Amino acid sequence: MTRRGFLLSAGTTTGAFALGAGVGVAANAAVALRADTAVGAATVNFYGAHQAGIETPFQAHGVFLGFDLKRDTTHVMARRMMELLTDDAARLAQGDPALPDNDPYLAEKPARLTATFGFGPGFFTKLGLSSQIPAGFADLPAYRIDKLVPEYSGSDLVISIGSDDPLTLAHAVRQLTRTARSFSSIRWSQKGFVRSQGVAPATQTNRNLFGQVDGTINPAPGTEAFAGQVWAEGSPSWFAGGTQLVLRRIAMNLDTWDKLDEGGKEISVGRKLSNGAPLTGVHEFDAADMEAKNSAGLSVIPDFAHMRRARTDNPKEKFLRRPLNYDDGILLDGTSNSGLLFAAYMANIQTQYLPVQQRLVDLDLLNTWTTPIGSAVYALPPGCLPGGFIGEGLLS
Amino acid sequence: MTMTIIAKRTLAFATLTMAALALAGCTSAAAVSTHTPEADAAVVPTFTDVWVKAAPELMGGTGMTALFGVFENPSHDDITILGGTADAALTTTKLDTHEVVQNDAGEMVMQEKKDGIVIPAHGSVTLKPGSYHIMFWDLKKPIAVGDTITITVNFSNGTSATVDAVARDIANANETYDPKADTGATPAPSSTMNMG
Repeated sequence: MTRRGFLLSAGTTTGAFALGAGVGVAANAAVALRADTAVGAATVNFYGAHQAGIETPFQAHGVFLGFDLKRDTTHVMARRMMELLTDDAARLAQGDPALPDNDPYLAEKPARLTATFGFGPGFFTKLGLSSQIPAGFADLPAYRIDKLVPEYSGSDLVISIGSDDPLTLAHAVRQLTRTARSFSSIRWSQKGFVRSQGVAPATQTNRNLFGQVDGTINPAPGTEAFAGQVWAEGSPSWFAGGTQLVLRRIAMNLDTWDKLDEGGKEISVGRKLSNGAPLTGVHEFDAADMEAKNSAGLSVIPDFAHMRRARTDNPKEKFLRRPLNYDDGILLDGTSNSGLLFAAYMANIQTQYLPVQQRLVDLDLLNTWTTPIGSAVYALPPGCLPGGFIGEGLLS
Repeated sequence: MTMTIIAKRTLAFATLTMAALALAGCTSAAAVSTHTPEADAAVVPTFTDVWVKAAPELMGGTGMTALFGVFENPSHDDITILGGTADAALTTTKLDTHEVVQNDAGEMVMQEKKDGIVIPAHGSVTLKPGSYHIMFWDLKKPIAVGDTITITVNFSNGTSATVDAVARDIANANETYDPKADTGATPAPSSTMNMG
């Protein structure tokens, strides 16, 4: 029996004993209120070889929380923090309240809630764990296209929380933040979204706020390709089954983008807006023909097109993109405050990510309308089993 | 699956309750009992999700806090939580059972529950902020978030249990302690439990 079931049955039993049939009606009403829909009741298993929330199909809503360790937080305290955060996350993921939880009823509909934890470079250095930094893990170099602001950049700890329900998500954010803040200080929070559950088939690739189909080349969950791109092997050993996250906040200037017509938008990426097919193909997943020329002798997919610059035949330069859109209202001048929380997951930032990012810095027409304003990297430990905690290999 | 179990349990106890009600007027409730009291003498209640409110800083060299959790009684007889004791390094004051009630002024205050906290037979009781709790007085040292506190809980059937409680941060559980609340007298200067 689940914990929920136990509590429910215990309450019912006590009520029947204490007051007899009169309470039965009220108890039934309470049960009816918490009855779930398929979307609300859906859960993602917290425990396993890898952390949840990475191979998990997109949830509709997500939040990244950046924390810095407090100055007096020791190795032992960091361990406690991760034990408590793990406990919170595991309970919330199955629709149970955190322990304790002042708003337990907000936990009842998990809607595929996941909470995923990662350590920034400062986590290792502040705790004297520099020798345990995973291979290839380091801050990104300064790029000339970047206009980074501190309120969206870097932190010692990241908690990435996703759910198909924004109310459930807000509650989980609050519970995890309460636990984390005994040991660390919030640095920023960044909220994003994709389409709501049920609006499009779960397998359909998302669109970003430029209207582009975004994520076509991702490895499919559960495949060898996915595992090879995303999950680290044992270097160092505690990191086996972990992954590295590059989180970039990319401001997208919707107002200048609006000045393009559809053709101009399509050649900037090299894909059709209608279905994401390469300009040389018909269907989304058609292979792009990089050699194809138009009647004027120009490349159909131009040299400056994002997909030409980003794509690679080198399997060691591929990684998972799991971006969320952000839309933080309208600025006072009437322009958009929108963009992408570009979240990329890979076994090794240095070998897989840096070459691709450098090509995009050197040439990518999309840079005309996009500006990276936040940047952070994290080492995400492997998953854990019941009784364990996230980061145990590093902190035990 | 879960719902089936609940339904069965609820039905079983509803039946038993009706039987007890039917018999209560003319005979001893013991008449419906199908067990021997001796068989339950050694039953120790079980407990889950036990936590204590962190007290990260002492005030005036001392502090107080409270312990919460779910206690389940698998036996045929009610069992009462009588209180407990903590590690002497934390506090040497006996841990009393407390409840939160409304005083004459309409305020919610906590007071000792001198007769203990009953865990109904085949039932459970939840100790939570604003309700039943096990009270710690005279803390000699702070309790940090994430600390594990071990106490001995004593029960009315003569058993006791060693209970681990993890210290967690919570903003409530700040009820004013009113030692006169249960006497109806004018409240004495009261202390407020505020470890936040």
